[in-house]
Amino acid sequence: MKTLQLSAATVPTVRKINFSPVVLILAAILLVLIIPPAAYLVASSLYTTNFDGSFDQFTFQFFADLLRNPYFLRSLMHTAVYSLGSACVGIVLGTVLAIIVERTNTPGRKYAFLGAVISLAIPHVLYTVAWLMILGKSGPFNQMLKAIFGASAPTFDVYSLPGMILIEGVGFVPLTFLMMSAVLRSTDAAFEEASMMSGAGPIATFWKITLRMGMPGVLALLLLSFIRAFESFEVPAIVGLAGNIEVLSTSIYQSSRATTPPNFGQAGAYSVCLLAFLACLLYFYGRLSRHAHRYQTITGKGYRPRVIDLGRGRYASMLVLIAILLFVIGLPLAIIVFVSFKPFFGSFNVASLSRWTLKNYATVIGPGFFRSTLVNTLVLGTVTASIVVPFTALCAWLAVRRKPAAWVLDQLATAPLTFPSIVMGVAFLQVFVNLPFPFYGTLTSVIVASAVAYLPYGMRYAYAGVLQIHSDLEEASTASGAPQMQTFIRIVLPLLSASMISCWLFVFLLAVRAMSLPLLLVGPGSSLVAVSLFDLWQNGQVTELAAMGTVWVALMTCVSGCFYLVARRYRILTA
Amino acid sequence: MNRRSRITQSVSIVMAFPLLAGLGTPVFAQSQEEILHYAGADREKVLAEGAAKEGELVVYSAMIADQALQPLTDAFMKKYPSVTVTFWRGDSEDIAQRVLAEERANNVVVDVVEGTSVSENLIKAEAVQTFTSPMLDQYPDSYRDPNHLWAATRVSYYCMAYNTDMVNAADVPKSYEDLLDPKWQGQIAWRIGSESGTPLFITNLRSAWGEEKAEEYLKKLSAQKIVNFGAGSARTLVDRVIAGEYAMALNVFCHHPLISAEDGAPVASQLMSPVASTTATLLIPKNIRHPYGAALFTDFLLSEDGQKILLGADYFPAHPKVLPSEMLQKIVPHEVGYEENLVRPEALVNNGKKSDELYQTYFR
Repeated sequence: MKTLQLSAATVPTVRKINFSPVVLILAAILLVLIIPPAAYLVASSLYTTNFDGSFDQFTFQFFADLLRNPYFLRSLMHTAVYSLGSACVGIVLGTVLAIIVERTNTPGRKYAFLGAVISLAIPHVLYTVAWLMILGKSGPFNQMLKAIFGASAPTFDVYSLPGMILIEGVGFVPLTFLMMSAVLRSTDAAFEEASMMSGAGPIATFWKITLRMGMPGVLALLLLSFIRAFESFEVPAIVGLAGNIEVLSTSIYQSSRATTPPNFGQAGAYSVCLLAFLACLLYFYGRLSRHAHRYQTITGKGYRPRVIDLGRGRYASMLVLIAILLFVIGLPLAIIVFVSFKPFFGSFNVASLSRWTLKNYATVIGPGFFRSTLVNTLVLGTVTASIVVPFTALCAWLAVRRKPAAWVLDQLATAPLTFPSIVMGVAFLQVFVNLPFPFYGTLTSVIVASAVAYLPYGMRYAYAGVLQIHSDLEEASTASGAPQMQTFIRIVLPLLSASMISCWLFVFLLAVRAMSLPLLLVGPGSSLVAVSLFDLWQNGQVTELAAMGTVWVALMTCVSGCFYLVARRYRILTA
Repeated sequence: MNRRSRITQSVSIVMAFPLLAGLGTPVFAQSQEEILHYAGADREKVLAEGAAKEGELVVYSAMIADQALQPLTDAFMKKYPSVTVTFWRGDSEDIAQRVLAEERANNVVVDVVEGTSVSENLIKAEAVQTFTSPMLDQYPDSYRDPNHLWAATRVSYYCMAYNTDMVNAADVPKSYEDLLDPKWQGQIAWRIGSESGTPLFITNLRSAWGEEKAEEYLKKLSAQKIVNFGAGSARTLVDRVIAGEYAMALNVFCHHPLISAEDGAPVASQLMSPVASTTATLLIPKNIRHPYGAALFTDFLLSEDGQKILLGADYFPAHPKVLPSEMLQKIVPHEVGYEENLVRPEALVNNGKKSDELYQTYFR
């Protein structure tokens, strides 16, 4: 009798687990890619390592060491202050820029999009170095302060927490601007009009209406910026380490790289802590994004956001626009171009102009190491984006249309978001090196790791894209006898093309400018631009770095420019 | 064949392909040891033929990529066109770790390793094998390992760099004692996080002066509030001196300030007795894939022709017959009357822990 009851109870459960073969294959691919690095990471934090780096004894010692280590708490504090600070700087500047562009009649506002897209192409390491040159003790900013205040010593120390926050925060502006623009564009301006009609001024209207309606978007953006700063590596490595300010990501780097033999256990324990923090934050981010639909205000009634006529004030807002764009893209690029003509890195004065040289460009453009680096990077970006986009489009379509168990795909493809790049680099290095065939150190290995790292971004783009497509056409296709895959290829993909193009470019730009993930994975013959820039910085070849950076940004500006034209054609951007 | 077995077969072929590619490396009758120690009169011919069959060679080195590694590999490939050389540049610590990781995973990609402080860690981990080269006959004993595990490729001298706009010629500290003048407080930087930084500085003084005198000096030096510079190489630190961020920098590579001064930068080098010197070393890991190529490249790098290429990158070649450029001869300690203390790779590693403790005690 008991047996009978049990089997009766289990029957419906068995029926529920009804994976379609496509879902099964996709899930298997994701599991194979995601589980090994995660498993390695946890194992490394729980085993001591031998001199050669192999695992030895099981232990909780590394976690106990962390708790006893005064530097860990300090590092944690630094991480929190740095992440919150830079998220705030990024959001304030990005929001101001978005409001000017989306809601005012400021002249030239449309160029902000072009600026944002171009600056997305600048590798973070180049950007950080540029700001160090500007804000450094002998840089133009301190020279200006000296001239104003007549001080003998430099006034502003960039190798400090405020310096780090400023550089990272300004670096966030393109992203926060693009995301805030999207929030503002989807907020019904009728409420703002009503507010203005009732006598409220533009500032009161913004504060009481616009900001509150966009609040879920703003909060989600704040959390996202915080998370990105939490796991960022370039600014902490280049600015923080020089100023003796360690954050979690640099602690991992120091433990796994800067000591010989490497302390993989300590790096693993740091990584597990970082993962745990990020998982909590992402949980809240997920909740915020899930409830965002409550605030949806797009009505579908021929709606168009209201543009506020600023009158003469529009020239003032133009100045603000120019100032922010100068900060975000103008000044860093100008200083990089300036340095690229110098024979050596030194102070910034007119006298140094007499020694300008094209030597650095000759080195970069000529055949050899740098040229192959440029080609490798373009291949990496192109192949990674071309893998991620169709893969996530298929996963997202299956998930959105609630195919059996397809929610697993969404979860799995989003999971890499919890891995900070530097942690993923450490984990993939260990997995690749242990494969029984020559894979590690190759460009293909970097492509595989990058594809995994950018799956979540592809997933979000594709998910949003599929949500916008009504299922009528697909149902018609199925009703006419087309199999599932044919429906996907002939109906869904063409309809998704607009969001897939922008997703492709986004993943391409992320992949070509990333440094902390490939840093540990590149090998002979697979050098990449961002990693080479970091190497040049560490080697003190700053003038060659500047020349390489200039050439790269010029190249990426062409790519972004082409995208801008395509985007206008397909109305991906409303600029 | 049913559908399932067709899938199984396809998967097996796909899985086996990379495995077969990995095993496709040519296998020759001679063992690696025989190849690396071959001393016949036709050594070059045998090695060149073997290397041509291998077809490729992988080098990890800490040399500057565009100035030294690229010209070196280009010249090698010009001489031996059948061999394609790929290289990876990294800091010595990174190189050691990468080689150990490959060794551990039984997946050795590299064939030849070169760097400043890689040797002792790799030797300790028993990750390298012995080799000989007829070129080494001309090298002094101090530039090669008695057990044939490493050979010196280039020499580095360490000194102080100062900004000529910030420090008057008359005031320039000429000795370690001069550095203790209170007027330099907070103006001197040194490099942490690298074996050729603070550990070398401290190990040099300990080995030259003895423990007691060295510690007493370090205690006094700590009152100078030395800036701990933790980002980038010694070259980066010299750039900061040129830019005027620090008046002086300790323990930088002595030739870097000279090169920049030649271009017009406001910087100069100052030697102090005892001048620390180190050698970068060449090693051959165990279980490499291209032993003929590795031996051939070793001969080439240690030959006069190979060493002359290093001159182009302003390095100090280790070959006694290849003299450094005229500009750099000014800082060869024994040529200009300074006491030199060669810190051998094993001394640097074996003293590293104690030197780091002294750094932590007085300067962190």
